[in-house]
Amino acid sequence: MMEFLNELQTAAFWTGLLAIIWVNIILSGDNAVVIALAARSLPARQQKQAVIWGAGAAVVLRIILTIVAVELLRLPWLKLIGGVLLFWIAVKLLVPEDGSDDGVESSENLWAAIKTILIADLVMSLDNVIAVAAVAKDSFVLLILGLAISIPLVIFGATMLMKIMDRYPIIITIGAGLLGWVAGDMMATDPVLKDWVDANAAWLHWAAPAAGAAFVVATGKWLAARAEAGRREVVDLGEGSETGAPR
Amino acid sequence: MLKFLVAVDGSAPSSRAVDHLIRHVGVLKEGAEIHLLNVQHQIPYGSRVSSVVGHDKIAQFHREEGMAALKTAMQKLDSARVKYHHHIGVGAEADVICQYARDKGCDQIFMGTRGLGSVSNLVLGSVATKVIHLSPVPVVLVK
Repeated sequence: MMEFLNELQTAAFWTGLLAIIWVNIILSGDNAVVIALAARSLPARQQKQAVIWGAGAAVVLRIILTIVAVELLRLPWLKLIGGVLLFWIAVKLLVPEDGSDDGVESSENLWAAIKTILIADLVMSLDNVIAVAAVAKDSFVLLILGLAISIPLVIFGATMLMKIMDRYPIIITIGAGLLGWVAGDMMATDPVLKDWVDANAAWLHWAAPAAGAAFVVATGKWLAARAEAGRREVVDLGEGSETGAPR
Repeated sequence: MLKFLVAVDGSAPSSRAVDHLIRHVGVLKEGAEIHLLNVQHQIPYGSRVSSVVGHDKIAQFHREEGMAALKTAMQKLDSARVKYHHHIGVGAEADVICQYARDKGCDQIFMGTRGLGSVSNLVLGSVATKVIHLSPVPVVLVK
């Protein structure tokens, strides 16, 4: 108890908490959106079921993966791998969808929807968990808080998060940069490198995160700009023509 | 025949823009070719979500939201027995509106001064402002 109260008084705790909240908003939101989209085409009663199953699975996965991730991140090389994964996720956050993805076979029944949701849950929980574990570092409190915060976001957050991101897209940019920061920091503290870095290149402890953040934002923005420029044709999802009586 | 682009988002000003357009068209001897357009924002997390759910699901989402936004305008035009083509675009509104105007060779754009997303004190919404800057043709703004 004393330890906990002491921890609450450190700046590291509060900045860590802010970072975890941000990371969770970014990385739970997409899970929530997928659940909402996959369930949309179902009849109302089945929609509820799909959301409940999907969100429930996400919660369970997150708990299991958190435990696994924390243990794994102690092993050599895994922080490096995790860092690369986070970089990739972070950059992809900044790139708009390009109309070419087919995704999982899209059909209109409950099981197909749940299948889509479970796959999304697995992929998206994994990176949420890695990011939270990386930000939490040694703090058990932050880890649990991080996990706890992500759960209601995934379950209830789709509409609200979509609206917020839409209105303030800078949240995503900052979030992606934050992930880059976390990834850089994680890679610099991998057990394989840690001792060498501490002895010879202690400056990497701030340079790697900073470089990570800059890299993510620059790469993401560049790729997004390329995607925009490449999009010549006009997107039109309407049917084209409708009639009243001719004048 | 003149070609008009009317950009709507389901808001009251854009509805009034449609009313104004209908009165306009009523005066023209040979009517006009009308293009009704609603622009949807890209969803956040675009590429991550689409790699799991697929592009079609997202397109379907945009289409449904777009049709909902177009509903009032379509009803008004139908009641006035005016022919039109309807479109749903995706992206940054002002850019897409002007792109459509250019591509369809429209002579004029009709739109509301403000839309659904606006904040109270602005005289002119951000989309309308950008369209004025970017538009290749005259723009009629309805309050």
